[in-house]
Amino acid sequence: MSKFEPNIVAFLCNWCSYAGADLTGTSRIHYPPNVKVIRVMCTGRMNPLFVIQALRQGADGVLISGCHPGECHYLKGNYLARRRFLLMRKLLEHIGINPLRLRMSWVSASEGKKFADVITTVTEDIKRIGPQQSFKREAV
Amino acid sequence: MNIQKLRDEAIRAIGRKDVKYLIGYQRGSYGFRVSPAFIQTKEDVDRLIFSPLCHLSLTKYLTLEEIIPVSEEKQKASKIAIFARGCDSRALNQVIAEKGIPRDKLFIIGIPCEGVIDRKKIEARFPHVTDPADVIEENGKYIITIGDQSHEIQKEELLADTCKVCQYPNPFIYDKLVGDKVAPRPANYDDIKSWEEKPLEEKLDFWLDQFDRCIRCYACKNACPLCYSLVCILDRLNPQWVKRSNDTSENLMFHISRAFHLAGRCISCGECERACPMDIPLMKLNRKLEKDVKDLFSYESGKDSESKSPMTTFHVEDREDFIL
Amino acid sequence: MGKIKVGVYICHCGVNIKSTVDIDKLTQFASTLPHVSMAKEYIYLCSDPGQELIRNDIKEFNLNRIVVASCSPRMHEPTFRKVLRSAGLNPYCLEMANIREHCSWVHDDKIMATQKAEATLSASVAKANLLEPLEEKEVDVTPAALVIGGGIAGIQAALDIADTGFKVYLVEKEPSIGGHMMQLDKTFPTLDCSACILTPKMSDVGNHPNIELLTYSEVTDVKGYIGNFKVTIKKKPRYIVEEQCNACGLCVPYCPIEMPDPFNMNLSKIKCLYIPFPQAVPAKYVIDPKHCRYTLRRECKQCEPVCKDLKAIDLKQKEKLIEVEVGTIIVATGFDTFDPTLKPELGYGLYPNVITGLEFERLSSASGPNLGELLIHGKKPKDVVFIQCVGSRDKSIGNEYCSRVCCMYTAKQAHLVREKIPDANITAFYIDVRAFGKGFEEFYDRVKQEGVMYRRGNVSEVFKRKDRLVVRAEDTLLGQPIEVEADLVVLAVGMVPRSDTAAVAQLLKISQSPDKFFLEAHPKLRPIDTASDGIFLAGCCQGPKDIPDTVAQASGAAARACIPLSQGKVRTEAIVSHVDETICRGCALCVEACPYEAIELKTIERAGKTVQVASVNEVLCKGCGACVAACLCGVMQQNSFTDEQLLSMIAVLSEHYEQI
Repeated sequence: MSKFEPNIVAFLCNWCSYAGADLTGTSRIHYPPNVKVIRVMCTGRMNPLFVIQALRQGADGVLISGCHPGECHYLKGNYLARRRFLLMRKLLEHIGINPLRLRMSWVSASEGKKFADVITTVTEDIKRIGPQQSFKREAV
Repeated sequence: MNIQKLRDEAIRAIGRKDVKYLIGYQRGSYGFRVSPAFIQTKEDVDRLIFSPLCHLSLTKYLTLEEIIPVSEEKQKASKIAIFARGCDSRALNQVIAEKGIPRDKLFIIGIPCEGVIDRKKIEARFPHVTDPADVIEENGKYIITIGDQSHEIQKEELLADTCKVCQYPNPFIYDKLVGDKVAPRPANYDDIKSWEEKPLEEKLDFWLDQFDRCIRCYACKNACPLCYSLVCILDRLNPQWVKRSNDTSENLMFHISRAFHLAGRCISCGECERACPMDIPLMKLNRKLEKDVKDLFSYESGKDSESKSPMTTFHVEDREDFIL
Repeated sequence: MGKIKVGVYICHCGVNIKSTVDIDKLTQFASTLPHVSMAKEYIYLCSDPGQELIRNDIKEFNLNRIVVASCSPRMHEPTFRKVLRSAGLNPYCLEMANIREHCSWVHDDKIMATQKAEATLSASVAKANLLEPLEEKEVDVTPAALVIGGGIAGIQAALDIADTGFKVYLVEKEPSIGGHMMQLDKTFPTLDCSACILTPKMSDVGNHPNIELLTYSEVTDVKGYIGNFKVTIKKKPRYIVEEQCNACGLCVPYCPIEMPDPFNMNLSKIKCLYIPFPQAVPAKYVIDPKHCRYTLRRECKQCEPVCKDLKAIDLKQKEKLIEVEVGTIIVATGFDTFDPTLKPELGYGLYPNVITGLEFERLSSASGPNLGELLIHGKKPKDVVFIQCVGSRDKSIGNEYCSRVCCMYTAKQAHLVREKIPDANITAFYIDVRAFGKGFEEFYDRVKQEGVMYRRGNVSEVFKRKDRLVVRAEDTLLGQPIEVEADLVVLAVGMVPRSDTAAVAQLLKISQSPDKFFLEAHPKLRPIDTASDGIFLAGCCQGPKDIPDTVAQASGAAARACIPLSQGKVRTEAIVSHVDETICRGCALCVEACPYEAIELKTIERAGKTVQVASVNEVLCKGCGACVAACLCGVMQQNSFTDEQLLSMIAVLSEHYEQI
């Protein structure tokens, strides 16, 4: 019987979190391989509807990660994202989807260790709550 | 509500040189049904009604692409007159704020609203009614006249759920006000709060069940005064966010997306739920977001026509306890 | 446009990727992906032959989309974009799959790492299939630079840029340039007089036709982007008319108010109508508004009538706001010294003969409170103890880093004590002695030979016994605790980021490292650039360093700042947003979401109606995409990050791969 290996899609902002994840790599800090990364320029670009698309196409969890408040390379993208994803999280919980499937983090370009910790935490939490199979898209 | 006062105001409105036509309510095709009325002449005014059956959100008819033909003398007129109850006026404010229609293109006749009847409830109570029916409100009761028969029902039995918790019965925006101000009901999100306590599995089972029933008729979208995109993003093929097939996953995506796009915009008229042929409790979704937007961002839609959307603004102290 | 032909190139990166990811399997997998014409692997794709391989394939096989699976795009995206350009292919037809920093370097399970690489590559190919060639626009660069901070770093940078031929605005908070270097006595290891080597450069700054010196001024707002910054500078009122003052100093005796002299580290007093030090540039007086009776209570005014011919005193002077336009900015704001009251066991603030290294510099300096004589309570100290690593290498107060200069300046100060007080007993407590630079080890040897006793151990306490100070430490080489009596204890305080660093970071939209100094773009390869194009770092504001390293970095920053200035043009962002005007309903949510006010509503004719639609100013747009997420109709899209492209990646990456 195969152990459940979660599939987690992470959206990382180019200037902080993606750079932070790069630093995790250069520092050779290891973390679970369950996370697949999509690079966007800013968390402000991230549409909360991406989350449901991911969750219903096989992802068990989604991570949105950006710059700390006040440090957004584009001034306010992360502030907008913060509002949007808080609301989406609450809506998902209202529908009965575990809010642990949508996580958000602030990881700066110099926080290589933190990124590894975030991935480890998110992966462990998703492992615990199990796969998302309730509303998977039907195959074409 | 003195219908004669309203009709007089309507005559005055369409008499104005700058008003093309008036949008109001008229009897529908049968029974309890109501239709929008596009009034251009004094004779047309006789068709106007205003009763607890008048549930439609007239703002919807301002944003349709269809152009109503008008007489030659009215070609140059720039305004459209419109009746606006409390929630309607919020829809107007919201659409004006979103530049969907300029304020100076409107002549608004505000009508404080005592609430509308849930048509599904009254049709369940009086099924198969084809004769024209009328309803008036008196002393907390509805007097329903069908043909030559008259019935008296307690108001709360037939009142639409969304009106039971209506905080804003009086119009926020108007050029003329007809009728006396109505006392608002207190805000009540108890049903949403008790839903929040339920276990995830129960909630998911419930909603998957609901989404299963959706036939993707888009009646909800068509009835909603705030869904007026030229091409709805959920209809597009490029990129295609949802397929047109009505399976659970696509339906879930459709409804969550629509609810989310209404966050900070929905004015709780309840038309979506009223229009749904499958009785999906859409307001249960919309009101959750309405409550959250109010609690988290101190924002309620449609109170004025200048407010910025809570989704494009922020406070430095916004909640972030959920962020790692 | 024709058929999409994707070329996939997978890098071994030596063994960096190859040792963890199964390259052969990955290459095989790549060739099965949609529209992939060819999939090749190579040992180092960023090398010349690697680049040549891609270039040739594009030309020979008419490839029109390239996917490189290798290191992070933050490393080599510009490299491979150049390759595409040189092959005649639009540089934005490139997508990179990060299988090194995000894969081979962080996962040890080879099977899962390869699976992840396959998924990542698959997503990059899916996106590449949907990429469109993008146009790059050029805008003119304002041929001027701004240097913030007038210490040795700012001075050097300003001189280099000015000598190159560009105008420089040098903004300094204090009434004179010179910074901390001006406060030092002698510099290690050459024992040059600090002020003597600095003042000629200060003079050059004051006289340079290309340098506009704005002292007693602060930057309050920065708008714009590389090539086109608009900066607001607040000129604080000196209450002296700069153009009139000739620094004769005749007014000073008439001023009745004395205040602690900040230049002398508050160890002496100065009038509140003062010149910071004799060699100040500009050589102009200034009145301190926190002490002047007139500015505080509208009294006195004894100085004003003294200057009757030149009328250089204007007690009613107001602050001025100036706006300047520059192409590039250099941040050279310097450092603060560690506040040793945070380590109360060392007795600073409690005992007057416990002083910091910087205070020692002033006491030792010929222009200091005692004109260079080392006197404590009017007497020469007989027993002098130096304590190294105060506020550095110290987890307990949160400064883990080494401040780099303290070992050497302690050695220098020990030497100066020996020079001035030949029979003094000098002890220096250390953990390590870092004498890494040119001439450093030799100087340290010399100082030891001059009879300075270096004792290895952390000092636990400085306390008073009867009327003597006692320094208690552990001598780790002896393996026992010791006590040394002292007349003077000098704390070798480290460098800390200035208290206003966070505010400056916010102003310029640059980041701070975990140690709170400013963050460089890349710690190895780009130690002068910041992540914001056109903004550079020089000196200790980026991290502790000594004077030669500061000067070197400042010249480096000047060179980098001059590149866009001399090119005259700068490319604007290509990954900007665009509007589908056929269905935009002009709701202006995007206008509100944009951080740069780059979107406006414009009026167009559409299907016989006059409508308003959103319109993006491609020069102002920085490519963040906030407008795209704000748009409810999907009308706004960002080049190279369209919804279609991201959705295609989501579809690929969400798929579970076969479970083990």
